Amino acid sequence: MTSTPPATAWFTQFGVDDDLIRKALSAATSRGADDADLFFEHTEATSVGLSDGAVNSAHTTIDLGVGVRVVVGDQVGYAYTEDLSLESVLRAAHTASAIAHNSGKGQPVFVPSRLVVPDFYPVDRSWSDVELSVRVPMIRDWEKRAFEQDPRVRKVRVNMGDADKHVLLARADGTVAADYRPMTRASVSVTAVDGDTKESGSYNVASRGDLSYYDEARQQRLVSMSVERALRALNAGSPPAGEMPVVLAAGSSGILLHEAIGHGMEADFNRKGTSIYADKLNKRIAPAEVTIVDDATLPAARGSLNVDDEGSPTEKTVLVRDGVLESYLHDRISARHYGVDSTGSGRRESFRHPVLPRMRATYMENGPHAPEEIIASVDKGLYCEVFANGAVQIGAGDFSFYVRHGRLIENGKLTEPVKDVNLIGFGPKVLEAIEMVGNDLEIDEGGWTCGKDGQGVPVSQGMPTVKVGSLSVGGGR
Amino acid sequence: MDTPEKLLELAHRVVARCQELGADEVTAMVSRGSHVTVQRRAGQVEQATEATTRGLVVAVLNDDRYSSNSTSDLRPAALDAFLQRCVSSTEFLEADEYRRLPDAELCGRGVSAQQLDQDDPAWGERTAEARALQAEQIETLLAGRRDDVISASSYVADGRSETVQVLSNGFEGVDAGAWFAAGGDMTLDEGDRRPESGAWYGARYLSDLPSPEAIAEEVEKRVTERLGSQAAPSGSYPMVLANRAAGRILGVLAGPMSGSALHDHRSCLEGKLGERIGSDLFTLVDDPTIPRGLGSRPWDGDALRAAPRTLVEGGILKQYNINVYYGRKLGMAPTSGGRSNWVVPPGDRPTAELLADLPKAILVTGFLGGNSNGSTGDFSFGIRGLLLEHGEVAGSLSEMNVTGSIGDIFQRLVAVGDDPWKWSSVRSPTLIFDDVQFSGT
Repeated sequence: MTSTPPATAWFTQFGVDDDLIRKALSAATSRGADDADLFFEHTEATSVGLSDGAVNSAHTTIDLGVGVRVVVGDQVGYAYTEDLSLESVLRAAHTASAIAHNSGKGQPVFVPSRLVVPDFYPVDRSWSDVELSVRVPMIRDWEKRAFEQDPRVRKVRVNMGDADKHVLLARADGTVAADYRPMTRASVSVTAVDGDTKESGSYNVASRGDLSYYDEARQQRLVSMSVERALRALNAGSPPAGEMPVVLAAGSSGILLHEAIGHGMEADFNRKGTSIYADKLNKRIAPAEVTIVDDATLPAARGSLNVDDEGSPTEKTVLVRDGVLESYLHDRISARHYGVDSTGSGRRESFRHPVLPRMRATYMENGPHAPEEIIASVDKGLYCEVFANGAVQIGAGDFSFYVRHGRLIENGKLTEPVKDVNLIGFGPKVLEAIEMVGNDLEIDEGGWTCGKDGQGVPVSQGMPTVKVGSLSVGGGR
Repeated sequence: MDTPEKLLELAHRVVARCQELGADEVTAMVSRGSHVTVQRRAGQVEQATEATTRGLVVAVLNDDRYSSNSTSDLRPAALDAFLQRCVSSTEFLEADEYRRLPDAELCGRGVSAQQLDQDDPAWGERTAEARALQAEQIETLLAGRRDDVISASSYVADGRSETVQVLSNGFEGVDAGAWFAAGGDMTLDEGDRRPESGAWYGARYLSDLPSPEAIAEEVEKRVTERLGSQAAPSGSYPMVLANRAAGRILGVLAGPMSGSALHDHRSCLEGKLGERIGSDLFTLVDDPTIPRGLGSRPWDGDALRAAPRTLVEGGILKQYNINVYYGRKLGMAPTSGGRSNWVVPPGDRPTAELLADLPKAILVTGFLGGNSNGSTGDFSFGIRGLLLEHGEVAGSLSEMNVTGSIGDIFQRLVAVGDDPWKWSSVRSPTLIFDDVQFSGT
């Protein structure tokens, strides 16, 4: 299945052994603690870029370090170091322990107990074993295909990047969990010129898969979608401004869930009472057609996790079932606060960051309607297909997302292409305003990254076609 | 590896080793830093983070084949294996002669460390007790200000970093600087909505930060402004862009001004040098030499000497941001690829007077999402703000977007306030634009 050694063994090459772990956890808990952990991480990332017809840049990153966390109640002390020598790790452990003033319940002597984790992203070959010479002809071919697709294509840029990440989590209660997390991402960007009009288009795909992820269909889609998007933008205008019905296409429309409800489900905001959903557990927040999940178990998805970053098993968490709010996304701190199990949502950008409850792959389950039926139900509105980014204010409930490509809906039909418009709404109102849910769920294959408190983590999102009764469209006419 | 001399020695050793392995040109940058963050909420420290960190960035050119690389694993054997890989990874690449290092005469320190004044000696004397006290003061002041507070947090952070850079063309430089930050945020109970806002200040000198009282007052003012917010009707309004929010609108220029966008024909400013892109009132300067400036630096990413550059003067586009690589590709002299401090010079009339002249306007105090298209210049952003009538607050606004284009928006600049925001690398006063498209209800 995999040629990669297990991650516990992986860190022995950096001098990490049970003795170092035991001493570091003992130092971390020396002033008392309710919870404490060490998060070792080693990442080796490579990317290759093509511009102006030449594969002419390569980038390699090696990142190695350990983060030490000490938890007392809901207080967190955190320190990290890139130097894995015993002296340096002990210094970090003492620093992190300063949060505790001989408080907390104290911890038993560390007896390692290895957590067996599933494998949602098995690989035949790790990315470090793939020579640059394998990647170079692939990306050169993508460029060639892009130029061949249309004479208006003037510039092509291609980038292919991948990473092998090994993590090792050791907790004061003895839990030891290891994970190997591969990641690959490829993007094609083109500039198309038609007379005086210039436009750009891009498409990217990302996965925890190996080289076999790039099958012929995916490679062709990567190229043809980027060219098609640039050409479409050449002839697209701005939609009208104001409130109107909006139909969200299947796939990356999941950004609406991510912003309108996903962040509000992260239990840290609810624990502090700062989420708009803080008092909505077991209450109806959307029509019965709506079921929303956050899933760590999708095969090879960018947002999938075998184990979270504090050693909790991961799962498919139902956030909203048939319109009723069922669960938040928990890390160990919020799980303890609410008296429930962690949902395996404790994540961090790297060893430099403390854990926060985060999304993994957020999507809406299928509903009863055919997508054509949904579009046909709109007299005058906006069809949103390609998204660039989104944002939310957790407490105020306001969220927004930027639509790069869409179409007008007139008399139940898709008509002229539109582009570059921001949509804004009030989360709870928008969930209530969901009128129809399609039967065509698609998990977007793009490389989304979610930002929170200065930490970026890879996520996935998906959606069937969905109709929202009214959203505010920032059009120009 | 504690002193700058040791960092410099390491950088020289890296350059020499890469050359020994066959590289023709090498850039090495070594940095180390320390930082501490303390966050308080509900009467206790919620999170305290502390770290000392280090890293190496190496770019090599081997027969004109380029790779750039970074690592945090500086153990000697690991470092040597890494450098071998940096050089050997160029083997499968194609030549790119434009990557060559700049002429040594262009490189160097453009401004003295004394003038930049970035290294507050107070940083070394800062104690854990002093940080804890400052965070506690801010939190206590915030929590006690109103009785509808759901949550109030305070943040105190500081750090210092040292960076050395060595180029195989003979350049070597040592730079160091400290920074301090403090702020707070608050969430209020308003039934269905829980309005939130915060204020965050950064400075090079501890003594330049506002007092805990001033921070708490500003946080309360900002969150109170969010109460009762709703959308106004869609239409065209004068836009008053608050000084602290100006960076988002000015920032739409950054992409199209870059050498990479010009080279890829993805810039709406291509061919516009010397042409009018804004009203007479619009002037924008990139100034890396501002004493204690948060974006100040002695040289840029190519090691080119820092100097103030006027990007837009009286509405006329004077310069792009061209780094060495794209300068060669475009046949243009390099200016500087990166952004330092962006300065809009203040006007003469008090901002309050300018606002009083406007019967009805939208004051934009912040943004929520949105984006811009550098190829066409079109932008669309979600906004937060206030409805103003003759400078008086007439309502709180949410769920609205502002839409426009780079080619048009700066032509609509009709007044410039006298209140530059100094807590960021974008130093702009309040800006007033006529007839801007907002969408709401």
